[in-house]
Amino acid sequence: MSESSAVQQSGPVARATGGVADGVHRSDDLFGQHRGPLVVDDDFRVLDDPVEQQTFTQVVDDGGQLLCESVLMVQGMYCAACADTVEDALSGRPGVVSAQVHAATRRLTVRWNPAETRVSDLAQAVGRTGYRLLPMQQALSVSQRLAETRKALWRLFVAGFCMMQVMMYAWPAYVTEPGEIPADIDQLLRWASWMLSLPVVLFASGPFFESAWRDLRQGRVGMDTPVSIGILVTFIVSSAATFDPTGPWGQDVWFDSLTMFVFFLLGGRYLELKARDRTAGALDALMNRLPEQCDRQRADGGFDAVSLKRLAVGDVVRVQSGQAFPGDGVVLSDGVTVDEALLTGESHPVTRARGEAVVAGSYNLAAAALVRLERLGRDTRFAQIVALMERASTDKPRLAKLADRIAGPFLVLVLLAAAFAAYYWWQIDPHRALAVAVAVLIVTCPCALSLATPAAMLSSAGALAGRGILVRRLQAFEALADIDTVVFDKTGTLTQDRVVLREVRVAPGWTVEAALQAAWPMSRASLHPVSRALAVAAQGQGAVAEPAGFDDVRDVPGGGLVLTGPEGAVWRLGSARHCGLDEAQLLADGLSVADTPCAYLSGPEGWVATFVMDEGVRADAAEAISALKASGVRIRLLSGDRLAAAQRVARQLGIEDVVAEATPERKLAEVEALQRAGARLAMVGDGLNDGPVLARADVSIALGHGAPLTQAQSDFVVQSGRLTEVVQTVWLARRTLAIVRQNLWWAAGYNAVSVPLALVGWMPPWLAGLGMAASSLLVIGNAMRLARTLPPLSHTPTR
Amino acid sequence: MEVLYLLIPLSVLLVLGIIGLFWWALQSGQFDNIEREGERILRGD
Repeated sequence: MSESSAVQQSGPVARATGGVADGVHRSDDLFGQHRGPLVVDDDFRVLDDPVEQQTFTQVVDDGGQLLCESVLMVQGMYCAACADTVEDALSGRPGVVSAQVHAATRRLTVRWNPAETRVSDLAQAVGRTGYRLLPMQQALSVSQRLAETRKALWRLFVAGFCMMQVMMYAWPAYVTEPGEIPADIDQLLRWASWMLSLPVVLFASGPFFESAWRDLRQGRVGMDTPVSIGILVTFIVSSAATFDPTGPWGQDVWFDSLTMFVFFLLGGRYLELKARDRTAGALDALMNRLPEQCDRQRADGGFDAVSLKRLAVGDVVRVQSGQAFPGDGVVLSDGVTVDEALLTGESHPVTRARGEAVVAGSYNLAAAALVRLERLGRDTRFAQIVALMERASTDKPRLAKLADRIAGPFLVLVLLAAAFAAYYWWQIDPHRALAVAVAVLIVTCPCALSLATPAAMLSSAGALAGRGILVRRLQAFEALADIDTVVFDKTGTLTQDRVVLREVRVAPGWTVEAALQAAWPMSRASLHPVSRALAVAAQGQGAVAEPAGFDDVRDVPGGGLVLTGPEGAVWRLGSARHCGLDEAQLLADGLSVADTPCAYLSGPEGWVATFVMDEGVRADAAEAISALKASGVRIRLLSGDRLAAAQRVARQLGIEDVVAEATPERKLAEVEALQRAGARLAMVGDGLNDGPVLARADVSIALGHGAPLTQAQSDFVVQSGRLTEVVQTVWLARRTLAIVRQNLWWAAGYNAVSVPLALVGWMPPWLAGLGMAASSLLVIGNAMRLARTLPPLSHTPTR
Repeated sequence: MEVLYLLIPLSVLLVLGIIGLFWWALQSGQFDNIEREGERILRGD
C-alpha cells in the first residue's frame, strides 16, 4: 500500500531509484548536485589495503576457485540506466566474474579474481564512466537484511497460497444450503483445508507466536498476544470439529478466516519491512565515504600516505587545508585555524597555537599543519560524543505503543465476553456452551485492530518518502503527534552553516565593488568562512578577474590574511587588530557594527572597508517557527554557540527560551531536565554535537546536510533540509494519529456488533470471515487517505 | 462425483508443489530485485 502511494507521489524516476532515495540526490552532496557524470580522479589505492578490505569484501569459494566478493556503493547514480553503465564498465574486464548493481539501493556486488585484478582497477574503470565506488561499511548487515526479507516473503507466499486454496474449499459451503453437500465430500473438504492450514499455523504464523511469547515472558501484553490466542484457538477448534464433528467444540470450521487473517497481517508486516529496508538503504548511502588517507611522517622526515586504520598514537601526520584531523592531537606547526562547528556548534573558526590540542573530526581551514596524534578511535572526543549518543538512546523515554496499550484491555474484555457466553449457554444448552464461547473468541479477531496502526503509519511514511523525508522508526509518528515542545539547534539548523556578507562600509573614494575586488586575492586563498563569504560576494559582483602582479598571500593564524603587492604595498584582511585598526574608534565613528562579526580591509593608507557579516538565518525559519507556534508548540533554542549569537537569532525569529554555549553533555542535561518536567519534545538538529540530544529526545528530526552519524540515529531525516518540511512532518504525524484512532474505533465498533451476534449463537463462519475481511480492508482504505499529499503550511491542525 | 475423491487430494498436492516451486525461486534470488526487470526497458542494449 505504501509502495504504490510512493509511486504516485514521485513519478517514474523516483520509482526507478527506489522512491525513498530520490531525495538523496536533491540535497546530499554524495548524490547531490551531480545530475551528470562525476569527475572521478581518486586513485582508489586505499581500497587495495587488506585492512580496509575486511569491511566490504569476503572470500567465496566458487567451484574450487577462491574469489573475492565485494559490496560497494555506487556514487553518482540516479536512475536504473546508470546501473547498466556501471555493470558494462565492469563485466567485460579480466578478472571480473560477475557484477550486479541494485538500482534502488545503489549497491554493486562484484565477484573478482584476486590473481587477475584489484579493487582499485575496478574502481578506476567505473570512475572513467563517471561514477565513484565507495566501500560498503555495512556489507554484513546487508546480507542479513536480504535473508530477513527472503524469509518474510517466504512466509507471505506460504500463507497466501494456502489461503487461496482453503478459500476454494470453503466456497461450496458458502453457496449451498446445509445438507446439500454429501457428508463424505464435506469431510474431505475439511481435511484438505486442515492440511493446508497446518503450514500457515506452524510456519507462517511464527513471528506472531515469537513476539507474543517474548511479551509474555516479560509480563506484558502486546498486540501479538490476542493475535496468537486468536490463531491458536481458531486452529484447535477447527481441527477438533474436523476430526470429531460431534464433540463439544461444535462442528463449525474456520480455516478460511484463519488463513486470511494470517495472510493480511503478514502482508502488513512485509510492507513494513520493505519500507524499513528502503530507509536503511538510503541511510547506508550517507554513511559511506572513501576511507580517508593521511600523510604520516617517516623517521627521515618524508611522508607516506596511509589509511587512517594504520595510524598509531604518537604518529606525526600532516593535515592538508580542508581535511579533517584524524585523531585528537597536539599542533606542531605555528598555529592552525580549525572549524569545530560539527562538534561544538560554534559557528566561528578557532585558532590553535603550537602545542595546543585539536580534536578529531574538526577541519583544518588554513595552511597544512603537522599534528602529533595523542588519542585515536574510541578515545577521541569524537568517539566520546558518539558513546554519549549511544547511552542517551538507551535512556530514551519509551512510549508504550497505542496498539499495545489497548491490547491488554481488549484481551480482558474478549475473555470476559467468552466466559460470560459459556456461563449463559451452560444454563440454556450445555452442549452448545463451549461452541458459543469459542465463536466469541474467534469473531473478536484483532485483525483490523492490529492493522490499524501500521497501515496508517506506512501510508504516511510513503507520503513523506515522496518528499525525501526518511522515516527510520515508524513508531515515532505516535510520539511526534504528541509533542508540546520543539527544540532547535542554531548553527546549521536555524541558520545556514556559513556566514554571509550583510553590509559593507567603505572609506571615502572607495566603492563596495572596489573593496571586494581589493579583498578578492586574499579571500579566495582561504577556507575561512568569512573569506569564503567575501569571495562569493566578490564573484557575485563580477570581480573574478585574475589580479595582475599580486603574489604571496600569507595566512596569519588567528588574525587574518596579508597580501604583499608588487611594489611592496601591504594589504590586510581580518580582525581589527590584525589590520592595525582601533576597533573602538571605528565603532564610535559609525564605521563598524557592534555585536556582529566584522572583517576589516586595510591598505597602505589604512582603513579601506568594514565587511559586516551575518549568520544567514534560513529563509524559511521564521515561517516554520510561527507555524509551529500557531499550532500550540513551544519553541526552544539550544545552541553550542556564544550567547550573543544565539540571542540575536532567537530575537529575529521570536524565540524566547535560549540556552547557549552548551556542550553536548550540557545539552543532554537540559533536555533531560525538560523531560523530567513533563515536556514531550522533538529535537531538530544537524551536527554531531546534537547527536546525544537527538538520541535522547522523544522524537528526533535530523536535517539532510548534517553529520551522517546524526542522521543515522534520528527518527526522521528531512533530506532537503527545509524547515517547513519539518512542520509538515509534525502535522502529518498528527493526522496519522487521528486516522489511527478512527481505525481503532472502527475495529472496536466491528467487535461491538459481532460479539452480541456470536453470543446469541448466530455467527456462521462465512459471516465471520466476511466481517473480518471487510473491516480489515476498510481500515487499510482509510489509511490510504494519508498517502495523497502532505498538509500545506497554510492549514493549521489542532490536536 | 467420485472424481472429487481424487481431485481434492490432488489439489492439496498441487498447492504444496507450487509452494515448493516458489521456495526454489525465492532461494535462487528471483525476488531479490524485482524492479530490475521493469527497468530493462531503460537499458542501452
